[in-house]
Amino acid sequence: MSFSSLADLGIALLYLLGALIFLAGILARKSALKRCATWITACGFCLHSLSLGLKTAAQPQEAISQGHFYFSFLAWSLLLIYLFLWWRLRLQFMALTAAPLALILFTPSILVSTQPLTIPSKLSSLWFGLHIGALFLSLAFLAMGFGAGLVYLYINRQIKEKKKLGPFRRDIPSLGTFDRLNHLTVSVGFPLFTLGLLSGFIWAGFTWGDVFSWDPKELVSIAIWLIFAYLFHQRMAIGWKGRKPAYLTSWIFVLCLISLVIVNFFVPSHHSF
Amino acid sequence: MTSMENMQYSICILGLNHKTAPIEARERFDLTGFSNRDLDLLGRESPVREMCILSTCNRIEILAVGEEPALSRLLVRNWAHCCQRDSGELEKLTYSFHGLDAVEHLFMVSSSLDSMVVGEPQILGQLKEAYKKATQEGTTGVVINRLMHKAFSVAKRVRSETRIAQNAVSISYAAVELAREIFSDLKNQRAMLIGAGEMAELAASHLLRSGLGSLVITNRTFSRAQELARSFNAAPVPFEQLSDQLTQVDIVISSTGSREAILHESEMKRILRARKYRPMFFIDIAVPRDIDPDINRQDNVYLYDIDDLGSVVEENLMKRLDEADLAHSLVSEEVRGFQAWLKSLDLTPTIKDLVQQGSDLAEKEVQKSLKGLGHREVSPEVRQAMRTLAHSVSKKLLHHPISFLKRKAEQEESSRYSISLARRMFNLDRDAPQGNQDPHSSQEEE
Repeated sequence: MSFSSLADLGIALLYLLGALIFLAGILARKSALKRCATWITACGFCLHSLSLGLKTAAQPQEAISQGHFYFSFLAWSLLLIYLFLWWRLRLQFMALTAAPLALILFTPSILVSTQPLTIPSKLSSLWFGLHIGALFLSLAFLAMGFGAGLVYLYINRQIKEKKKLGPFRRDIPSLGTFDRLNHLTVSVGFPLFTLGLLSGFIWAGFTWGDVFSWDPKELVSIAIWLIFAYLFHQRMAIGWKGRKPAYLTSWIFVLCLISLVIVNFFVPSHHSF
Repeated sequence: MTSMENMQYSICILGLNHKTAPIEARERFDLTGFSNRDLDLLGRESPVREMCILSTCNRIEILAVGEEPALSRLLVRNWAHCCQRDSGELEKLTYSFHGLDAVEHLFMVSSSLDSMVVGEPQILGQLKEAYKKATQEGTTGVVINRLMHKAFSVAKRVRSETRIAQNAVSISYAAVELAREIFSDLKNQRAMLIGAGEMAELAASHLLRSGLGSLVITNRTFSRAQELARSFNAAPVPFEQLSDQLTQVDIVISSTGSREAILHESEMKRILRARKYRPMFFIDIAVPRDIDPDINRQDNVYLYDIDDLGSVVEENLMKRLDEADLAHSLVSEEVRGFQAWLKSLDLTPTIKDLVQQGSDLAEKEVQKSLKGLGHREVSPEVRQAMRTLAHSVSKKLLHHPISFLKRKAEQEESSRYSISLARRMFNLDRDAPQGNQDPHSSQEEE
């Protein structure tokens, strides 16, 4: 077994352990377990970063021509944001969405081997890196927003419908915290999304000489961007807070996932893996 | 011989509270500023022997001991006269209790079972304050002294033996807990207290202790807002600025006596837009409610009334009902105890108790001495002589007090006082050593 596949297995195992221990920590209401889970996930993240870095450094052309590289990269971005939240805001709770999502995204990158992509030359240009990097980071933010949004909607309903207070609810951060996460998702995620989209068009203009080619992925992305722009405007200018942005953010993430899985895998497009 | 049993003297409570009278009426018949003497009830000619006024924001009651049936009519008349109002108007708003029902009512009030928020702790302090004032003004006597002290001890018993007091605490606890679920940091939040009231103030102080950023207080009567603001170290604001304030505050505790809602859903939409949809938490403690229940439908607005707060705390309702039952049975037990004491204020049972205590004591001492001598060496004759000696000493010793009591019993005025004094001197009621009869001991008790 090569180093890279061994590392992949180790990373998946660490993420799985992190997710399970964190869940156990929530259920048993032990903060030590939760801290432990976060550190395990962080270890997995370090190994993941190393593995990604080595692969890209060794054979940049081969690495980025593989579909699962992008999933692995997406999982990595997600954890990057989670660990950032943990470090800056002491917000452990999002591990509940980050670690399992990372696991789900990462596992197919070991199991599924896809056809090498036929990537046109000039691929490694700055614009392509920006296109992938910005979009994936924004997707990771959306994943956070999705997790935060679901929890927000749940707690919001509990409070509105005057359900009994329970020990579980006491452990969850407040609605205000989840709303702040949503604010972060919208205020950082949308500019990144825009940047990713724009750089993609610019790169396409350089590579194919055609900025817009009526590709299905492009159409779906623009549709999502319009919804995202609406949310950005309502949140930033009108001051939307709480339920509506949480709802919309969750939907945008779901749409992105659908676009990622269905369009990239099943619809003929120059984004296919 | 005078007797409580033929009810020449009766205990009577006349009062109005949040259930029988709206706040405007409670304000009209407020007795807060008056002394017990102002009612002009006591005097040679008056049927009233003892009295005490209890006046809080939710209730005004007069406890009196005197001769029926003139008693309650006189209470209504003088009370209305004192407030310069029509006594017919007052009569419609009041309830009255007599005899043991009055005792039970007082015990229910003191143990906070009759409060708007069952279990709220302030009523006991207010009752003690009222009693202290009455003793200073010299309007209480044997019966009210005993009754009040019993009322305080019943309240303590109910508080320690049932979890009824947790009800009030848990309601304000629920308010804080919910605020914590809504806002990420209470430090950055500002709360507003509209109106005044025991429960609202409890919730506000609990929020402050939990780290609330700032508090503003408003009231239709601005001076009251200022007064309350001083005690909370908060800022008073005029009532007219209410809707401006609502765009700035995050938590609203409302407890006004208004009959109509002071805040409607349509108004709320404008306020939410102005505050850029920052979340708001409303705690509506008033009955009838101050805030239109429909505003809970708005996003980022959370409205809880007093029942909602009670229902979200973890203990289930059945358990709390059980606690109320338990508290009620404690109260009736104490009422029976008080009834026994009232009866003992008659001469005959007191003499019986005295003689019984004397002979019990004699017998006990004889047994003690015999034990010291060793049973075998004492002949039956000596034993008999010792017994006779002890019993006759106790009888002789009690002869004078008993004939004094008999003499006093013929003079109606002072008979109950003397009997009660004798009962206390000889500790016939087996009271706790602090002497529950001393009117001045109550102040040191706390």
